[in-house]
Amino acid sequence: MIELLRPSKAALAVIRVLGIGGAGANALDRLLLDGMSGAELHAVNTDIQSLTASVATGKLQIGRSTTRGLGTGGDPELGYQAAEEGAEELRALLQGASMVFLLVGLGGGTGSGAAPLIANFAREQDALVVVFATLPFHFEGRRRMAQAEEALAALQQQADVVVCFENDRMGEAVSPRAPIHEAFAAADQTISQSVRAVSTLVNQRGLIHLGLDELTRTLRAQNARCIFGFGEASGDNRAHEALARALKSPLMDRGRLLGETASVLVNIAGGEDMTLNEVQILMEELGRHIGDDTRIHFGCAVDPQLGAKMRVTVLSAIDASAQLATAPKPTLAVVDAEPEPVITFVETDEAVTALLPAAELAAELAAQSPAAAAQLARRTEAAAAARAAREAKQEQMQFEPVTRGRFEKSEPTIVDGEDLDVPTFLRRNMKVR
Amino acid sequence: MARDNIFVGLEIGTYKICVAVGESRADGTVKILGVGEAPSRGVRKGEIVNFETAGKCIREALVDAEEKSDVMIGSVYLAVTGSHIEGFNNRGAISIPEDREEICEEDFEEVQANAREVSIPQPNMFVHSILQHYYVDGQDGVLNPIGMLGRRLEADFHIIHGVGNRIKNSVRCVKEVGPEVLDVVFAPLATAQVVLDHNQKGLGALVVDIGGGTTDFIVYTDGAVKLCGCVGLGGDHITNDISLGLSIPMNKAERIKCEDGSAMLGICRPGEMILLKDETGFAGREIERDMLHTIIHCRVREMFEMLRRKLDEAGCAVHLLAAGMMLTGGCSMIHGIRDLAEEIFGIPVHVTHAQAVVGNVSAFENPQFSTAIGLIKYAQAMQPEAPRGVLRRLWKKFPFLGFW
Repeated sequence: MIELLRPSKAALAVIRVLGIGGAGANALDRLLLDGMSGAELHAVNTDIQSLTASVATGKLQIGRSTTRGLGTGGDPELGYQAAEEGAEELRALLQGASMVFLLVGLGGGTGSGAAPLIANFAREQDALVVVFATLPFHFEGRRRMAQAEEALAALQQQADVVVCFENDRMGEAVSPRAPIHEAFAAADQTISQSVRAVSTLVNQRGLIHLGLDELTRTLRAQNARCIFGFGEASGDNRAHEALARALKSPLMDRGRLLGETASVLVNIAGGEDMTLNEVQILMEELGRHIGDDTRIHFGCAVDPQLGAKMRVTVLSAIDASAQLATAPKPTLAVVDAEPEPVITFVETDEAVTALLPAAELAAELAAQSPAAAAQLARRTEAAAAARAAREAKQEQMQFEPVTRGRFEKSEPTIVDGEDLDVPTFLRRNMKVR
Repeated sequence: MARDNIFVGLEIGTYKICVAVGESRADGTVKILGVGEAPSRGVRKGEIVNFETAGKCIREALVDAEEKSDVMIGSVYLAVTGSHIEGFNNRGAISIPEDREEICEEDFEEVQANAREVSIPQPNMFVHSILQHYYVDGQDGVLNPIGMLGRRLEADFHIIHGVGNRIKNSVRCVKEVGPEVLDVVFAPLATAQVVLDHNQKGLGALVVDIGGGTTDFIVYTDGAVKLCGCVGLGGDHITNDISLGLSIPMNKAERIKCEDGSAMLGICRPGEMILLKDETGFAGREIERDMLHTIIHCRVREMFEMLRRKLDEAGCAVHLLAAGMMLTGGCSMIHGIRDLAEEIFGIPVHVTHAQAVVGNVSAFENPQFSTAIGLIKYAQAMQPEAPRGVLRRLWKKFPFLGFW
């Protein structure tokens, strides 16, 4: 479908993956070890030592005269200069790519400085740019965090999609007793999984296809915190297990955050024996974690290579500020008019043509958004306030018939006006599933 | 009939009924002969709500205890609890008659009667009045004034009272089953006799007994009872919370509380699940461990915080209790509860069970039995022929048993 819509980007076969800086190279190595097919992998760094250690097939040293083969020492300015110096080589590297993945650890010099510029080069080649960025740990200091955030903002300007991982949250994902290298490996693994998932998502033709437009729409919100889950399972109960694994992924927060997002992208892939029933089970289970208002972009593909396995990818973004989180909503409301291709298992021309105007409309609105931003913000603010009021009321409604369980008929234990027989978590309005 | 030096302690708990049979030895120790127990029904928050079923359960427990100890039980000491029971401190004062200078035993009775001359709510009756300290002519810290010279004798008492009919109901329920009730004892008082030693009482200690339906507490400072009480919250509430929060039956909730529960947060991996196997009448379920811990943590934290508030309001400086806090009762076995208590009370916390007894060791090394065993120790201390020790001096009971 996408191929028809975007003839210029039809040839999605040419994917280049660039690991920029030390952290980027680590993630790239991981990706290579996990086996990434159908893409060229290049490590780009100022530090010759780090480049030598990398197992990537393609290696490019930038800023030969700027840093003379050393690192940037955490200075993004040097990183930027290095990228400028290596502009020719970088352009040559990106030549002919239709899709570019940039893996970068923000906060340092090379990653923060060079990545926005490289993203710009990739754009010049008319390639789609997807950035996978990690933010530094909090303990690395405010300065580093500020550098990272600046670079992130610059990347969001240049790239089509920015998937952002917070290292702090990676730490939460592994047990507190896990050795440090395991924690870092977990971070790299998450990035590697998401790169592969996104590339398959966009490249693979599915029964119900998900394309880059859904991806960008899901992850568009600025300052977005990415929620990513990936799970693979086989066996009788594979639908349930794959989802359980996906929800256990780092950044997923056990699916808890999913309830707060505006839209979620779900892609299910399975071997040829995957049944509709399994897909239903999986989606129903996932539905429990997702709020009623959330828009679900659902994709489904059969990949004979998977054999008896089933694979689920859940992607979403949650915004730090409430306004930004609700901002894309009106746009989505327009897109809601789009006929549900979800149910059309057979791709028809009608579906494609019907999709076209909706997609155009969405693109137009996105282009206009800076101008209409103020209006949108005002409208969404009011809507958010109304929703908040409604939610608060709902909560009260929920807790009005207080439940005391087995103490229903016994003399209440009342201290300071509180009926202590009612479960504490209910009185504290805590969410329990 | 039981030998003279054999005592039986009966505790009617919310979760189970416990009967301890022990022998008082000449050297002042207690030898446990056997502990009988039976699951309790018809009891809520430490008080009997169904007379008939509770009676049956008491009989079961008594029979169990008779079998285990090989003793015929004819009379028992009964522990009572319930949130209606309260304590307060009061001072009694008398003047020694002009014609004598020496303070004698009858003055003691008089000063105690004087201390009791306070108004308690109409339906209430006195359960204990426990001596704290004497003052002779205003002189502080007199341990035993008998034989001393003085004009004015004062004494501080801790007076415990509760709703008369409720206490009498428990007694009647036991009497209908068979055994005579020799005395009723407020549960934490009995518990303290076995979890605290003389030294700890002197240093100052807090005993918290978290049972099935109630949480009983008692504070000792300078060797005397300073404060005690009962809150109608216990393990039942935790189980009830789990049952409601996770939508599982009570018996399953009880089991995962004991097996997988913890009062501490952040000790499990994110997304860790507990599998509840399916059985007849129950479809299997997976439960998030973190959720379970959160529910327990909220409830236990609330219980402790409330207790802490109660102590602070009563003017009890928790941080000055040098011997720390003793945690006992069935709920003290919940994982992580000690750390949580330490966090909230800020003093060392020990999870403990009956100490200072000999005999069937494994039977009493269980915090669930602290109160029942404590009753035996209490009974031993109350015996007139027992050496007039510190325990005997600390509480003198009003002969209220004639009431029924």
